[in-house]
Amino acid sequence: MTSLTECIEKLGCLDETERAYAAEDLGYLNVPEAVPHLLERLPRESSMAVREAIFQALTRMDGEPAIEGSVHLLNSDDPQIRNQAVVVLRGKVPRSIPFLNAVMRDGNKDLRKLVLDALGGVQTDDAREIYTAALSDPDQNVVITAVENLGRIRAKEFRTRIEGLLQADSHPMLTGACLEALVGIGEASSLDAIRRILPDLEALPDFLLAACLKAIGALGTAREFAEVGNLLLVRGHHLRPAMLNALKAIYSRCPSAGPDKKLLSALRALIENGDPPLCRYQAVQTLGLWADHEDVSAFLVSCLSSGERLVRLAAAESLCRTEQPGLKSVLAARAFDESDEEVLQALGC
Amino acid sequence: MADLSVEQFQKLSQHIYQKLGLYFDDKKIYFLKTRVARRMAALGLDKAQDYLFLVAYADPEGQEMQALANLITTNETYMFREYDQLQAFANHCLPEVLSAKQARGEKRLRIWSAGCSSGEEAYTLAMILQEVFPQAQSWDCEIVATDIDENMLAKVRAGRYGQRSVNDVPDEYKDKYLTGNGEEYVVRKRTAALVQPVHLNLHDRMAMRAMRGFDFIFCRNVLIYFDDLSRKSVVDQFYAALNPGGYIFLGHSESVGRVTTAFKLKRFENHLVYRKE
Repeated sequence: MTSLTECIEKLGCLDETERAYAAEDLGYLNVPEAVPHLLERLPRESSMAVREAIFQALTRMDGEPAIEGSVHLLNSDDPQIRNQAVVVLRGKVPRSIPFLNAVMRDGNKDLRKLVLDALGGVQTDDAREIYTAALSDPDQNVVITAVENLGRIRAKEFRTRIEGLLQADSHPMLTGACLEALVGIGEASSLDAIRRILPDLEALPDFLLAACLKAIGALGTAREFAEVGNLLLVRGHHLRPAMLNALKAIYSRCPSAGPDKKLLSALRALIENGDPPLCRYQAVQTLGLWADHEDVSAFLVSCLSSGERLVRLAAAESLCRTEQPGLKSVLAARAFDESDEEVLQALGC
Repeated sequence: MADLSVEQFQKLSQHIYQKLGLYFDDKKIYFLKTRVARRMAALGLDKAQDYLFLVAYADPEGQEMQALANLITTNETYMFREYDQLQAFANHCLPEVLSAKQARGEKRLRIWSAGCSSGEEAYTLAMILQEVFPQAQSWDCEIVATDIDENMLAKVRAGRYGQRSVNDVPDEYKDKYLTGNGEEYVVRKRTAALVQPVHLNLHDRMAMRAMRGFDFIFCRNVLIYFDDLSRKSVVDQFYAALNPGGYIFLGHSESVGRVTTAFKLKRFENHLVYRKE
């Protein structure tokens, strides 16, 4: 094993590979004395390969100096260094939390945002203090990042705080983040807070509607099902995937939510027109929720002849779930004309 | 089967890309759905949403991602696998490296097939090399095929393959570089002589440091089984092992750029390749 002095010396040598190896070895030596040398080298290092080796070394090192050093790097003017420091610190949670907490108290808004990036989606009770502070932060960007993180980790204890951030005059980015977070947390009661400030789906701008459809898909009821069904007829193509997701998701919780004729024909039109294949796949699946209806199943059978593979796949999946008499033999007959392995598998062949 | 919604499919495929570097496009929705269903059944989960949460935020050791990786990747190896990538190698990268060497008066070419398994990739490269560069025999050309498993290396040394392994070998190559009876094929001596099987653990950093001076490294569909830190570490070792101007090839759907920023991305027609400057 190379000695500490030797590695430190090689860290400054001309050969790129030697420098990378020296950094790597320092990581394995895992001694606090190595940290200042790695940190000192970093801003002067022109080779990305050596920089990466230095960050890996910091990741491997257990002690507090590596954490303190990485926290210090958050102040760097170099965005690559800041971002990599965030990754190193994320790998050191929960040990890095006391250090991040200190930055949250004393750092500027950019540092406070980086603290939340360093927490990322890591589940930890120890970060409660940081999140509590972040949700009241004067900087909108910090609040939004905190909300996003809390949604990712399904932090139920922060649900009411997040619902409280939903205000009619909130910044749209914050509203979007709150909606996403409440979806992650998944409490049905959040729907009231959402509908209080977003009562009319049809009037929402696209950006908010997409986020709202996610929330409605996750938390909505039969009432919302009808509303979303109507949207399919009046809002833009690009929102169709979000609407179809919402319809399917609501139906899975409220199977009594029935389609009206307008929705069924809108779905059929969507399958037959030139929407992207994945959207048509979704539409067939949505229509497939009512595959027990005779006219729907007949349409789905016709979808098995579609030139679009994903349409055939979704039709096969939907039809195989139904109990309609005589359908099995129809599907078996279709299988003779099918050559795609996955469609055959979905047909149960 | 798991009712993975389109939105969940997109989230999961994005996460798989970040973690494993494997890209699943829209056409793969059914494939991924069936694999997720198997994992959910094994874990006793009913909701796809809970599975996604587990994989994204409650799997710090990456065990579930590994279990999923085992289902969404294939250990199957055969000659001329991922043909597009080999075309980029044969039509662009190899001629470029060879002409640079010729200009410098060098006559040495070294290729590393890392994690070579039973050797199909190494022999594929040997065939391509002989085809693209008939002078290979008068050069010092070497394809180092390394694997951690001695049983696999014994198969490389034997150079005997069944029908499945050679299915994708173009007919004219089959006649030239293999002998066989339709059921079993043996790599001809001249081609086999280019391949040197060597035992190597990619995690053994001291042994890895001895691997230097390569012009090409192929490590396809191997690193997806490594955790983030090991994967990064191995790719950094590959960087050190390559000569300047050398190329690295990971699997068709794996991204080098996601693992390290050290290599430079280069485009040849429709192919994206990674090169050490």
